[in-house]
Amino acid sequence: MRNYAALDFAPVAGLNVFVGANAQGKSNLLEAIALLGTGKSFRTARESDVVRHGLPSASITGQARVAAGSVRLSCSLNVARGALRKVYAINGRKVAYASYLGRVRVVTFVPAHLSLLTGPPALRRSLLNAALAQDSPHYYAALAAYTKFLGQKNALLRAAHPIDEALLATYDERLVAEGTTMILARRAFIAALGERALAVHRAWVGETDGTLDLSYAADVPDAVPTQDGIAAAYVARLADKRSAERSRATALVGPHRDDLVFRLNGRPLGAFGSQGQQRTAVLALKVAEYGVAEARSGEAPLLLLDDVLSELDPQRQRALLDALGSFEQAFVTTAHPVEVPAAATYRVIGAHLERVAA
Amino acid sequence: MPTVGPKTAARLVFHLLNRPRSEAQSLAEAILAVKDRIQLCSHCFALTEDDPCALCSDGRRDATLLCAVAEAKDIYALERTGAYRGRYHVLGGLISPMDGIGAAQLRIKELIERLAAEGPDELIIATNPNAEGEATALYLARLIAPSGVRVTRLAYGLPIGGDLDYADEVTLAKALEGRRTLS
Ligand SMILES: [Zn+2]
Repeated sequence: MRNYAALDFAPVAGLNVFVGANAQGKSNLLEAIALLGTGKSFRTARESDVVRHGLPSASITGQARVAAGSVRLSCSLNVARGALRKVYAINGRKVAYASYLGRVRVVTFVPAHLSLLTGPPALRRSLLNAALAQDSPHYYAALAAYTKFLGQKNALLRAAHPIDEALLATYDERLVAEGTTMILARRAFIAALGERALAVHRAWVGETDGTLDLSYAADVPDAVPTQDGIAAAYVARLADKRSAERSRATALVGPHRDDLVFRLNGRPLGAFGSQGQQRTAVLALKVAEYGVAEARSGEAPLLLLDDVLSELDPQRQRALLDALGSFEQAFVTTAHPVEVPAAATYRVIGAHLERVAA
Repeated sequence: MPTVGPKTAARLVFHLLNRPRSEAQSLAEAILAVKDRIQLCSHCFALTEDDPCALCSDGRRDATLLCAVAEAKDIYALERTGAYRGRYHVLGGLISPMDGIGAAQLRIKELIERLAAEGPDELIIATNPNAEGEATALYLARLIAPSGVRVTRLAYGLPIGGDLDYADEVTLAKALEGRRTLS
């Protein structure tokens, strides 16, 4: 894949650090590990880019030790006539993506996450979706169906008038069902995330910098947080926005408009915090994400830090790694040397990997 | 040709080159016959040489059951089961506004006219279990339910011969939702 013709690699337990200049293939290694674990690239929406230029396919196979035993995962990307087809296998058996996902947990931290608080809501939603899809196949199924029905509803609203009312009602019925599943899952996940982020943040800054609060800004009111309660609120909000959705020719209600809000002492951190305060909050969030994934799955997720450490001052680097504490295996890429307790350091030059003596 | 990649295409060409001319001739004639003789049944829109098709003109088929399918090829899949003795209606696709396909692009008006004219007791919707198949089925149910015809849909479920512990959780959950009474 990418700039690698072939590579066999047996990482060690603990912290694996890849050092190298840009465009040598450090991040490609992390991308391969993420693809193996989650079946998706964290770097690109155009996954056909993963396939080495001029070749028809790329494939990654790996052995992982999980609570259930040893599992052999394999993910191949095949490009034929411009279309990408992905094939997943577990222990040599072909499986659907829904059963592939979640065998191994992966928590990824990339530089884009550093602007999580100031960036667009889509960035925060995609973090929620990536974490929840690994957590629950039901969430993944609901998200996939929701996205499909939302696309169809938008196309219907944009199509020539008069609108087929029965078809619009059909899409809304499905969106309410799938969307409600998503809202309930996000609500519980953000509550768990918020609790951990608050504790981590407090341990770092004490009371001096204030209390970090993470909350769910759900588009559909979740005051009655049950399946029926949310579905009823959803239907009411759709009725409210009925004419606005038509005049703007786009769906205006549902979890595709949700957000995750960070506050420090009650003030929105994205708008009012200093860059330092924002970064600390992001780090607390990532540590919390790791902790929730570990608590929910009962095993330590793989941790991937892509070019993030060198973006942080030494004090924050240490705080992050200390707080993550118990990770069994982590992969870090960096262009500049970083002060971390590496179990193994590898130099990456032109898609070659060379272990550096400790 | 769909599903034929460059390698298979080359294999087909070499195979034909190794066969006598008469065989190529009869293949070419068969292809032309498909183009010239096969048409849509004016009743159910299945592919047929005679109009109405053999299924529509077979008086022994159960007229109280009508089964709506997306494509004509789906009829052959259902006929192979030998488990269905009713009639069919080919919609000609699935609703998908993203692809510019609404109800007007499919044979839904014709379906509703047939329901009124033939008065079956039950309409079975046999669309694929994907988002478009599901939306098309629910849309049809919404349109047709007021007329009093019972509308049903193929069940989601576990593959026969499969193991419960190999089924993915989503399939298993759907199968649980669609469970049936034994006693
Ligand atoms: Zn017919």
